[in-house]
Amino acid sequence: MSNEKKQKKPKVKPGRLEKREARMGYLFVAPWLIGVFVFLLYPLGQSFRYMWYNIRITPVETKFIWYGTKNFSQIWLENAEFPQGLVTYVWQTLVEVPIIVVFALIIAIMLNGKIKMRAFFRLLFFLPVIIVSGPVMNMLVSEGAATIPAMNVQSIISAFGMFLPQSVAESVGKIFSNMIMILWYSGVQILIFLSALQKVDPALYEAAKIDGGSGWECFWKITLPTIKPMVMLNAIYTVIFMSGNEQNELINMIKNAMFSGTKEKGYGYASAMAWMYSVIVTLVVLLFFLLLGSKKDKYDREFKRRMRRRRRQERLQIRIQRRSERNARKFANDIRRNKYKTNDGSNPDY
Amino acid sequence: MNPQRFEKGQIKIYLLILPMVLLTGLPIVFIFFHAFKPMEELFAFPPKFITTHPTLDNFRALVKASRSAGIPLSKYIFNSILITGVVVFGSLLFSTMAAYALSKLRFKGRRTMMQINQIALMFVSVAVMIPRYLVINKLGLVDTFFAQILPLVALPVGLFLVKQFVDQVPDSLIEAAYMDGAKEWQIYLKVILPLIKPAIATAAILVFQQVWTNLETSNYYINDESLKSLAFYMNTLAGSTSNTVAGQGVAAAASLIMFLPNFILFCILQKNVMNTMAYSGIK
Repeated sequence: MSNEKKQKKPKVKPGRLEKREARMGYLFVAPWLIGVFVFLLYPLGQSFRYMWYNIRITPVETKFIWYGTKNFSQIWLENAEFPQGLVTYVWQTLVEVPIIVVFALIIAIMLNGKIKMRAFFRLLFFLPVIIVSGPVMNMLVSEGAATIPAMNVQSIISAFGMFLPQSVAESVGKIFSNMIMILWYSGVQILIFLSALQKVDPALYEAAKIDGGSGWECFWKITLPTIKPMVMLNAIYTVIFMSGNEQNELINMIKNAMFSGTKEKGYGYASAMAWMYSVIVTLVVLLFFLLLGSKKDKYDREFKRRMRRRRRQERLQIRIQRRSERNARKFANDIRRNKYKTNDGSNPDY
Repeated sequence: MNPQRFEKGQIKIYLLILPMVLLTGLPIVFIFFHAFKPMEELFAFPPKFITTHPTLDNFRALVKASRSAGIPLSKYIFNSILITGVVVFGSLLFSTMAAYALSKLRFKGRRTMMQINQIALMFVSVAVMIPRYLVINKLGLVDTFFAQILPLVALPVGLFLVKQFVDQVPDSLIEAAYMDGAKEWQIYLKVILPLIKPAIATAAILVFQQVWTNLETSNYYINDESLKSLAFYMNTLAGSTSNTVAGQGVAAAASLIMFLPNFILFCILQKNVMNTMAYSGIK
């Protein structure tokens, strides 16, 4: 028994240093973790449960009626707006996010160069961030400050509609009508790009210049690869920001469904909507992640593969060793009890 | 790469940037002037950006409206400042701590934790409103300050942003500090925090404006009028009078008042935000 116990312990048992590090890690994460569990994960789990119910809140009590997948079928079959909204949302995000990211990158590159009044420009581009959320924005949009009055959106839509499906053309048209909004949304992105750009080693540019590289080549071969992780970060941030802010129609739809007093809607219905919406958002984020995710270094991949193979071999070896020990023990027992038999059934005499 | 003085080549950059600047600058100009517009300009169509006859009428109407309420305006302001201060401090502290641990310390389950954060990030916050209310109710926090503070402290966006920056702090700096006998909390305080100052400043602005303009907590978790926040008060003030013609002016003045603290904080922090990591020893 004692022999087995020794075996079970992993070969590399964590040393004091590692244990300490792990302990400190948990300590550092703990407050955040508690907050997330109590105010995010638990409510999330609850809403996951609620989406299978029809919930009616009366002054006396909260009624839970098991609905199964009825909420979903209702949303897909009877609600005309929500599925349509989802489709528009996906198109809009797929088109707008690259625009915002590219725009932010261009602005960041320009602001990174030494031009006069640089600090002032940076300030101005970041300023919209502090107003894009909240009631102020709603007011601005309703006042029509987010559109360019001189632009004829309808003609743009019809022009695109000639060679694109209608829903795509409409979302493209929407982009043009919200052009200013796109500019306002890119404050944080510009900032993230700026901080990434400043970390690019100037020696690299110098070396490239000496070797005869143009500015264009420098951008594609040095700047872009270096800031690639930040491109991904920005794309994901943009998706999340756009899908969670108050200007989003789907959010308002969910909110309305939550507080509507009608029989079939209510909190369960809204939860089902929200979960479907989140799945879509996750898929979009995943798409950007796959598109922009940094491919691992070739060497790195090779190394990982070797390590995996080695680990597999080690595991196999441990298994074989364990098995052989077990068998040896069994044989010893059998021999002790004089029951040992070879394969052909003869009983060897000891 | 960077030219030292003004050159001809920069003209094209200016040409590209200036229209963009005009576009992004518009909302601020709009908010500012909207509050000072007299009645007939508020309803002008197409909306005017700059007033020709600035007045203080809207602010007078706002003061008048707040006087008639039972609770003085200063109480709301105090509530908002307290809530926002605690939330910003708490969420920055926790998210930087968690970001440091998740990115630099090795322990079991840190990948899962990061994934949890990512999932929380994707999820629509509107959807968890009612379960959150149930949690708060269970904890007995309804009608306390904690109900307005605690739900906002765990903001996944802050952690997400900060962690990206902590990831870029080179391990060798931490190892060097470790060699010199620093403990983990010392590394956190003396190495990590100074290096990610820009990220902290950015996150601070984001968190601040989210909390400052937050209506949900006051709306759903608080019944006691004297504990509600300024944002909520301004919203009801603008909302209750928005049907009337005079309400528009009050709303405009209120939005300027709500906007100003954001602006001031931004001006204070912008140097930190803009001074990116060029000089912080990170390569």
